[in-house]
Amino acid sequence: MKILRLLYLIAATAALAPLAHATDDATDDALVLGVFPRRNAAETTRMFTPMAEHLSAQLGRPVRLVTSRDFESFWRGVTARRYDIVHYNQYHYIRSAQSYQVIAHIEESGKSTISGAVYVRKDSGITELAQLRGRMVLFGGGEDAMISYIANVYLMLQAGLKKDDFKSAFALNPPNCVLALHFRQADAAGAGDGVLDLPVVKNSIRTDELTTLAISPPLLQLPIAVKRDMPAKLRASIQSILVNLKSSEAGQKALKEAALTGIGKAEDKDYDPHRKIVRAVMGPGDVARR
Amino acid sequence: MRLGLSGKFTITVLVILLCTMAANTLYFLGTSTRLHEQQLLERGRALGRLVSLISPEAILGFDFLLLNDYTREVSSQPDVAYGAILTPQGVPISYHVDSADPYIKKRARQGASVEITELIKKREGVEDLIRLEYPITHNNVLLGHFLVGISRESLQSQLQRQVVIQAVVMSAIVLFLSAAIYGAFRFNVLFPIRRLISASREVGRGRYTAVEVKTADELGQLAQAFNAMAQEVKEEQAKLHRQANFDSLTGLPNRMMAFDRINLEINRARRSGRRFAVLFIDLDNFKSVNDTLGHAVGDELLVAIGARLQVSMREADTVARLGGDEFLILVPDVGNEVEVEKIAERLLHSVSEPRELNGRKVVIHCSVGIAIYPDNGDSVEILMANADNAMYQAKAAQEGSAIFFTEEMNIRLRERMQMEQDLNVAIELGQLALHFQPIVDTAGPRHRGAEALLRWHRSEKGLVSPADFIPLAEATGQIVGIGDWVLKQACRCWRAWHDAGLNPGFVAINVSRIQFRKRFSRRLAELMTAYRIPAHALEFEITESVLLDDHHQVAEELAALRALGVKLALDDFGTGYSSLSYLKRFRFDVLKIDRSFVAGLPGNPDDVSLVKAILAMAKGLDLRVLAEGVEHHSQLDFLTAQGCDFAQGYLVAKPMNEDSYRGYLKERQAKGDAGSLSFIHRPGGNLRTSRQ
Repeated sequence: MKILRLLYLIAATAALAPLAHATDDATDDALVLGVFPRRNAAETTRMFTPMAEHLSAQLGRPVRLVTSRDFESFWRGVTARRYDIVHYNQYHYIRSAQSYQVIAHIEESGKSTISGAVYVRKDSGITELAQLRGRMVLFGGGEDAMISYIANVYLMLQAGLKKDDFKSAFALNPPNCVLALHFRQADAAGAGDGVLDLPVVKNSIRTDELTTLAISPPLLQLPIAVKRDMPAKLRASIQSILVNLKSSEAGQKALKEAALTGIGKAEDKDYDPHRKIVRAVMGPGDVARR
Repeated sequence: MRLGLSGKFTITVLVILLCTMAANTLYFLGTSTRLHEQQLLERGRALGRLVSLISPEAILGFDFLLLNDYTREVSSQPDVAYGAILTPQGVPISYHVDSADPYIKKRARQGASVEITELIKKREGVEDLIRLEYPITHNNVLLGHFLVGISRESLQSQLQRQVVIQAVVMSAIVLFLSAAIYGAFRFNVLFPIRRLISASREVGRGRYTAVEVKTADELGQLAQAFNAMAQEVKEEQAKLHRQANFDSLTGLPNRMMAFDRINLEINRARRSGRRFAVLFIDLDNFKSVNDTLGHAVGDELLVAIGARLQVSMREADTVARLGGDEFLILVPDVGNEVEVEKIAERLLHSVSEPRELNGRKVVIHCSVGIAIYPDNGDSVEILMANADNAMYQAKAAQEGSAIFFTEEMNIRLRERMQMEQDLNVAIELGQLALHFQPIVDTAGPRHRGAEALLRWHRSEKGLVSPADFIPLAEATGQIVGIGDWVLKQACRCWRAWHDAGLNPGFVAINVSRIQFRKRFSRRLAELMTAYRIPAHALEFEITESVLLDDHHQVAEELAALRALGVKLALDDFGTGYSSLSYLKRFRFDVLKIDRSFVAGLPGNPDDVSLVKAILAMAKGLDLRVLAEGVEHHSQLDFLTAQGCDFAQGYLVAKPMNEDSYRGYLKERQAKGDAGSLSFIHRPGGNLRTSRQ
């Protein structure tokens, strides 16, 4: 009987062993890819799932895509270091640079850079930034929007205005702020320089009724960073996979789905111009450097 | 094209069904339209409420893309032409139109580049659009308006589809119902009616077929009523047939049936080459039976004779009553005349057998005329006429006899007809003339008057005896005109003689029974007035046959004559019935003894006894007596001795024409009327002495 009981115990242990190994794989090996809620969560998930799958396939380990319903919860995830790989805006990176290290930047419409731009209606009579004094300026995003808000406020500060000289309002995203401008809901709109070319904008309004009042110098596009404590080999693999997306069919598909035209290498110093602007607009406290 | 009952019924049903269905469809479509429109409104309201509820956050957050999502989603809803969000100032901040909307599609095809707001305005101008507007508020602050345009286009197309479907369904239902109703109508109404029509046609052809009664409804009742009617018609037809073909009194075939039977027999005999006989029977003196015993007894006699004739004949023979006292017997398949003669004898014997009627023993005879097919005619008319002719010959020859038709009879008949035609124009041609035969006292011998006697000088044929033409004139009714002429001539002559200073005495005029029926007294009164004739100048001689007619009318007419004051004489007394009751019932002035009784005087003891009896009776009744046909002195002497009052005859004078009679009167007057009766006056004025 003892022999039988022993055999049964061995058999049971053998049967449960692979299950325990699989559970370990799922928890220990999976990389978390966090994408900031530039768009709504569903859209973000749809767009970046191919990229996560491609990464997973290339790395030979699971890559779990995570996004958030809003910027606050996403930022809590950043500060809590819940993401192994993270795609966010330049301001986010500057603030989290002690925990994360940039490895790449995105390209949109074939461009690696983006400028902040202040738009007005052509029929508004506003021809220079100084005329925005006392007027309402609508920004495409919140105060942590690097291009729509920080870069454009920087332009206005450069033009001699102070933050209190104009009324700031915030739309959910850049397209909404130019739409609102078009519908005369604001006197000026702050967004990226390519916003008028976005289909969602072009299909909604007559963009020729708007004009660019001021535009900032080009700034490197949105960054993709990894945890600083990530093994160098893995970091290099991820960077290589992302930068070489164009070279494979699956990679191209991932880019296309994410509405990107490419991904380039980036390093921390590439975001120093951004740090200068942030420091001017947000104050020195919001700038972090390793 | 004539439309039958089924056609009319089907059209009526179709029209009713179509109207009903059309009304139902209109009602259904109307209701359906209202319901769908209500649904559209509800949908529009739901969308409006929803968008106005969820939009404030997007408006406040400048989330125009979300607003665009809302309007896009709204405009993609069925029946929504557009969705638009406007600022409180009316500036559109988000809008979408349904690119599938027909109006918008049309505008797009036309390549019209119209502002979207303008397009929405234009779209709102189209009638089919329902425009709904909802305010968008947040904490009672108006943020904007949501406009939604609901198109009725789908409703209309749905309506059109429903109209088509309804029309198809309705047509199918109408066709089915019409077919079903027509089938039911055809089975339950048309077939019974056709059966009735067929049966009616059968009734029209004289065939009575009962219609089968299958139901208890109105048609069943109609069929029952038809059957009852057909039965009644059948019975009535049989009754009419009986009335038309059978004599109601005797039950024997009547004249019409007799004619039919003779016709059939002619056809049969023509094929078989056989002969048959037609016997025409007329009862002798049947009228006197009616008059003396009454019509009921007369009818009883006719029934008895009819039955007796039937018994006497074979089954194959036809015994018919032609009317009155005339019978006809059709005897088919006769061999020769001897066989027919035996049959006739049997009939004569059978009819003349005495029978008891109304408690009285009656003996009646008949006269039979016989015609044989094909010898005496090959048609009904000819055979009947010839048999009738033969019967008259039999009756004329000897009552109670039978005579076969001969060609001579036909000749006599033709002569009779010719005489009738000639008599018609005799007055106009002046062929009639009055002759006068004097009447004298037997004792006197004083002239009393003269009897007017009619003479007919028929052209080419000479003088015709009154005995030949007076019966004919009476039979044809011509006697009325002739009698009137006689009366008028007599009056005219008397007036002329009297005006000439002569004393004509009276003129005795014979009156026919036919004249008596035509209010003779009235005409007499007119003429007496016209010719101023005194009543004593006229005497009217009436035979006993006049008295056989309706007693009441005869009595009235005689009384009227009496009232005029004229004298009345009973002519030919003793030759007929000589019923003493007549003498008692009707008052006469004179009795005329017929010449047949005078002829045997004084040698014939029978005539002597009879004349004596008449004279005695007349004396007893206070009547004057005139003897006719006095030709010898012995006769006159006897009559004078027996107390006869007047005499007329060749011994006194022969009848003479008007002129001769005028001469006679002059001569009498010149010699004195009281002179002895010693001469015979001859017409032409020659007087010949016969007795000195």
